Amino acid sequence: MPQSLLIISRQAPWAGPSAREALDIALAGGAFDLPLAMLFLDDGVFQLLPGQQPATVQQKDLTANLQALPMFGVEALYVAERSLQERGLQAHPLNLQAQVLDDSALTALLDRYDQVITL
Amino acid sequence: MATLHVLSHSPFSDSRLSSCLRLLGPDDGLLLCGDAVYALQPGSAQCLALELMPASIGLFALEEDLGARGLNVPERLQVVDYPGFVELSCRFAKVNSWL
Repeated sequence: MPQSLLIISRQAPWAGPSAREALDIALAGGAFDLPLAMLFLDDGVFQLLPGQQPATVQQKDLTANLQALPMFGVEALYVAERSLQERGLQAHPLNLQAQVLDDSALTALLDRYDQVITL
Repeated sequence: MATLHVLSHSPFSDSRLSSCLRLLGPDDGLLLCGDAVYALQPGSAQCLALELMPASIGLFALEEDLGARGLNVPERLQVVDYPGFVELSCRFAKVNSWL
């Protein structure tokens, strides 16, 4: 039985390579049927905003990769409620179907997985 | 499954520490290294938050990073060296490095 893995993505999409790398880990793990989940925390929630135009900063769009997660078997997708609230996004449409979790649910989530990677 | 959270960024320029504190479990541990040891600066809100953590949460910091920065440390802090870092990593079920 492979170990379960929680990937916490907490960087804004164009702050550096972290957002894309976290997604790559998730997609690669999903392709190999690993039991994994992804949590968007802190500035990581900005990755989920619709209407991004990354070409204006010479970057490739992450939205297609994000939306590929369920197709790669990564269906356990979570967003931190507090991170959304802090950024005024609690009622904002997001690019991804993800479950919104409060602080205590986040603690329980971390507890449930065998391994955690925070990028 | 208790987690050892490893922080290495200054809490004064970054939200890693505050996010980490919000999702700490009761049996987790917190290891400060690099600039994260500045969280132990007496009189800062960050230090107060660390001192107010439940007693069940272990608070650790790397000796050489403390020494390099000349910090006075709170009583509950357990100072570890690199072998101690390895020992802690094995003691907890998993390690979460806030990269």
